Amino acid sequence: MLSPKRVKFRKMFKGRTRGLATRGNTVVNGHYGLQALEPGWVSNRQIEAARVALTRHIKRGGKVWIRIFPDKPITKKPAETRMGKGKGSPEGWVAVVKPGRVMFELEGVTPEIAVKAMALAAAKLSVRSKFVTRDEAHTDA
Amino acid sequence: MPSAQLAATTRSTTGKGAARTMRRSGRVPGIVYGHARAPQSLALDKHELDRLLEHISAENTVVELVVDGKSSRTLIREIQRHPFRRQILHVDFQELVAGEKVTVRIPIVLVGTAAGVRVDGGVLDQTLRDLEIEVDPANIPNHIDVDINDVLIGQSIHVRDLVLPPGVESLTDMDTTVCVCAAPRAVIETVVEPVAEAGAEPAAEPEVIRKAKTDEETEEESK
Repeated sequence: MLSPKRVKFRKMFKGRTRGLATRGNTVVNGHYGLQALEPGWVSNRQIEAARVALTRHIKRGGKVWIRIFPDKPITKKPAETRMGKGKGSPEGWVAVVKPGRVMFELEGVTPEIAVKAMALAAAKLSVRSKFVTRDEAHTDA
Repeated sequence: MPSAQLAATTRSTTGKGAARTMRRSGRVPGIVYGHARAPQSLALDKHELDRLLEHISAENTVVELVVDGKSSRTLIREIQRHPFRRQILHVDFQELVAGEKVTVRIPIVLVGTAAGVRVDGGVLDQTLRDLEIEVDPANIPNHIDVDINDVLIGQSIHVRDLVLPPGVESLTDMDTTVCVCAAPRAVIETVVEPVAEAGAEPAAEPEVIRKAKTDEETEEESK
């Protein structure tokens, strides 16, 4: 599963996710993409599950790109613990996703296989998403 | 040389408030600029613009822009779109000057199926989708075709291998790779697998940069 090798701080504030993805909102590597429609956190487990779903469906042929990286640590307090006594211990990693972010890209498969593979991957994620092609998600002329 | 026609009106209001009002009323803000003229803010009809962009390649089509009855030859320089809605937010036009070359991006079209894909089941990865060229506006090509029928696994095509039409000069580095035929994914999977296992093993936290330094500091502080 994806996680950082080195970090500057073990724990991070929750933060607030405002606005739209002004970067990473175009399909750059492949021909097809999976674009987020709402803000949220996508965990490294979800990313791995989506990657497995994609690669299993396209079988041989095709190439997958993961355009998000879970670099935000998530902490959790142990069960049956009273409030207070400081922040919990790191339990996982998430990628902060804003609407418009292209999370996965795919190339080298037919459109039918790409649509189905992306639908399987989208089912593994915690944010609503849509299938896009290179032309649709292109910003520049 | 492809060309199209689009009508526009001038606008005097600027800023995001005026632009939003304009978009709500079914028009799209735009601008036209060029060496031979002062920049002019425009308002375009949304449906007309959508219809036009469905039929042309925006990067390399000369658009006959009719502003309040006066016509000029332009190129679309930038289209700003909403990050995920099918909505055009703003369009830039550059007026063409006779005899002056322009820099445009032309799509690269791969023709045929690579032998490495057809025979050996490889995957063709196109790394360069369009080529930046300098050309006279009258000779802008629609696209550049690249024959990939003879490309085997491990072979690639570079910009220097492309056959450009006369009068077209490439601004992209000659050593840039256009496409490469890679080995089938099943071979790659064997490489990926141990990495995934190694990542799964230590559920421990990653190394914290300068953690040791902070410990020393805290000890000093306690003394």
